[in-house]
Amino acid sequence: MADPSAACEQCSVPLVSRLHCFACNALQFPSGEVTPYEALGLPVSFQVDPDLLEERYQQLTVELHPDFYATASKREQRQSELASALLNRAYETLRSAVSRANDLLPRLANGVALDERQLPPGFLMEMFELQESLDDLLDSGTPEEIAQTRTDLTERHTTLMAGLGAHFADAEASATPDTLQTLQTDLNAERYLRRLLERLS
Amino acid sequence: MAYSEKVVDHYSAPRNVGSFAKDDDAVGTGLVGAPECGDVMKLQIKVEDDQIVDAKFKTFGCGSAIASSSLATEWVKGKTLDEAMSIKNTEIVEELSLPPVKIHCSVLAEDAIKAAIADYKSRSDASAA
Repeated sequence: MADPSAACEQCSVPLVSRLHCFACNALQFPSGEVTPYEALGLPVSFQVDPDLLEERYQQLTVELHPDFYATASKREQRQSELASALLNRAYETLRSAVSRANDLLPRLANGVALDERQLPPGFLMEMFELQESLDDLLDSGTPEEIAQTRTDLTERHTTLMAGLGAHFADAEASATPDTLQTLQTDLNAERYLRRLLERLS
Repeated sequence: MAYSEKVVDHYSAPRNVGSFAKDDDAVGTGLVGAPECGDVMKLQIKVEDDQIVDAKFKTFGCGSAIASSSLATEWVKGKTLDEAMSIKNTEIVEELSLPPVKIHCSVLAEDAIKAAIADYKSRSDASAA
């Protein structure tokens, strides 16, 4: 949800989205940063209801559309453009689990310093060896071998993302340096797996 | 973003790609990564009487990371361990004209040199003990 103190500038009803009031349809002029969650009016959590995300995005896209403000004041025209752009970025951020995680972790950490280079023990060596084996595979592997490796790595990425979901639940319940670092380490490892998968795509 | 001529040169014709046997006591191996982009770099040195006589690298990463490690192997060859320890990432940035977003690639190369030297020293200490 938007900040509970955020109320419509026109009718003072509590806002769902900080960009638009669903009660009186007034365009909002928020000051300061509007988070992706505040833009779409969703609870701040790694778990996002995909149907609700889609529904809000569609509704707000229509409500904020610059065409709708074509005859409004210059200030409102400009704001509808800014709000539409912000809405699109917020939607893109929340739609993918990886970008949602990268956006949410610093918010949960809220200034707690995390080691952005930490990886699981032995992980870097393993990634190096996997990269070397991909050199051989892409050079002389059969299509079946390449497909099998892609399947294995995709499965590993899926497992990592499932673990990330569980670790977010821990950190959202209790944001300690340990629970937060676990998430940072997951995200570090995710980039390495993604790079391997990119070579096979 | 366009790469500088020197980056393109090292990237298209990297120097000293390959590896030495890891368990050779004369070899030091540094393996470092940049999780912010998923790069991984291995740099190895071969040492005789405190002097680096040969170096090899293998980097999986962007052009700047490959160029930084390629240049690092060229620079460490012929240097003493102490001289190699004093190579700064800023010198790599300058030589390759790396833009600010690629500075971490040069940091990775400096870290790899230091890690390789530390690995060599820990092995030679262990074999001397």
